[in-house]
Amino acid sequence: MISVKDLTKRYAGHTAIQNVSFEVGKGEIVGFLGPNGAGKSTTLRILTCFQSATSGTASVAGFDTYRDSVEVRRRIGYMPENVPLYLDMRVGEYLRFRADIKGMAGRKARNAVDESMDICGLQSVRKKLINNLSKGFRQRVGLADALVNKPDLLILDEPTNGLDPNQIRQVRELIRQLGERHTILVSTHILSEVEMTCGRVIIIDGGRIKASDTPANLVRRLRAAGTVRYEVKFAAKPVLEMVRNITGVQTARHIETRKEWTQIEIRSESNFDVRQDLHELAVAQSWPLRELSLKTATLEDVFVDMTQPGTA
Amino acid sequence: MRAFYILLKKELRSFFLSPLAYVIVALFMLLNGCLFVAIVKAMWLSVTPHSLIFNMFTSVWFWMGYFFLFPLITMRLFAEEKKLGTMETLFTAPVRTVQVLLAKYVATVVLYLVVILPVFGFFILFQEVTGQLAAFNDGSFFGSLLALCLFGLFNIAIGCLASSLTANQLIAAMITFVAVMLHFFFGFFLNFASGSSAELGQRLKYFSTIDHMKFLSDGLIDSRPIVYYVSASILLLFVTHQVLDYRKWKS
Repeated sequence: MISVKDLTKRYAGHTAIQNVSFEVGKGEIVGFLGPNGAGKSTTLRILTCFQSATSGTASVAGFDTYRDSVEVRRRIGYMPENVPLYLDMRVGEYLRFRADIKGMAGRKARNAVDESMDICGLQSVRKKLINNLSKGFRQRVGLADALVNKPDLLILDEPTNGLDPNQIRQVRELIRQLGERHTILVSTHILSEVEMTCGRVIIIDGGRIKASDTPANLVRRLRAAGTVRYEVKFAAKPVLEMVRNITGVQTARHIETRKEWTQIEIRSESNFDVRQDLHELAVAQSWPLRELSLKTATLEDVFVDMTQPGTA
Repeated sequence: MRAFYILLKKELRSFFLSPLAYVIVALFMLLNGCLFVAIVKAMWLSVTPHSLIFNMFTSVWFWMGYFFLFPLITMRLFAEEKKLGTMETLFTAPVRTVQVLLAKYVATVVLYLVVILPVFGFFILFQEVTGQLAAFNDGSFFGSLLALCLFGLFNIAIGCLASSLTANQLIAAMITFVAVMLHFFFGFFLNFASGSSAELGQRLKYFSTIDHMKFLSDGLIDSRPIVYYVSASILLLFVTHQVLDYRKWKS
């Protein structure tokens, strides 16, 4: 559905994205993950033909976003960041305008507007001015607009930005339902969202693709090298020294010492479980032991690990 | 073509479903109504070789109000879309830039005509009521109508360009106002021309809006201003199109 090859976008003085390549197949829900300023929006804008790339190509459904931009735009529903809307229009009127401009007419347009309002729960506000709507409803109007012409591909840029937890849950649910009918590329920096809705995650940072895999695989990759938390009542220095001597320990980092209790974080090599050795060490040295736990990696850890070199 | 009509409808709707159009029309009618009364009084007191229409449209007072019109009706065209971010939704819909541009331009021209046409109603009404044929003739009536249409096309194109350059409506309005005034004053320079610069003054006459108005409102239809304003408008719209498409240029 989407094919991006070596996409680079340079602005005067800085490079927004560099050699970005990825593919999205038909029917996939793909999360596009990255910290603020990573180049997510730039990539999406190029995909939606709003901007051009400096070099590289992007195509949607086989049409090049630069040369066949109208054909591409016919096939996508795009919801930009912060959901820009005409504030002086009423909800129904706005969606009808958007349906018309996307090439639908007459009864077909009317039905499409009704349907998308049903899906997004907008029937109760159809006569309201968009200016008077809450953020949550505006978000839904943006979503209804994106899917009004039943596009093959939905591109959503931070769809849950600025919503309260209940609304986030609703939007997430909606995206999951929409995934049954559309291919979806959703950009976000909220990790739980991706974990729950997306079949695949593309992590981008500093304008480059860092990883592209299922959330489960990404987590597994990090979990292979586990992190253990270890807290004993003894001075930090000798504890660290002895812990480092255990086979399988990659690094040991002192976190803090509070009231004689020393807390350290240990990263073991893959396929090593050092917990038993740590326990035996405490017994042998007769250190009082308060915590010995394996930290399960979350997608958040993967994200931090990949987008913040040096702090892992 | 269909997209153009849909966009045109939307633009007209946003003019005429908001108080903006009505406020502008009402204020302009008030302003020009007062001016009209003043001109009629002046003509009653002194003899003039020109028609009422000529005197109306060549008076400084008319132009003073006239140039405030363009910033008001053009400033929001693109600046507002940029500010709201709706440029992104608009241009990611399957529409061509030229359709968007022309829809906005034509809608503004329609609004302009709605503002200007009542003035011509004054003349018709005056003739009906007083039967003063001397004050009114077809040549100056249609000539000045043509002149105002031409100036409108040109000045609205300036406003379109200014509005596409910035996301701030106030800046767009200022650019439009200054550009429109500068163009108008260009023709005034020839009043100061003498000696060696007289030649230059003659050249500047081609740009002089006030001179165009004088000829046309005397009923002299000259093809030069028609070509000038229409081609300048097309050029300005072309530049606006480039500005709007700039984000899609390949370096």
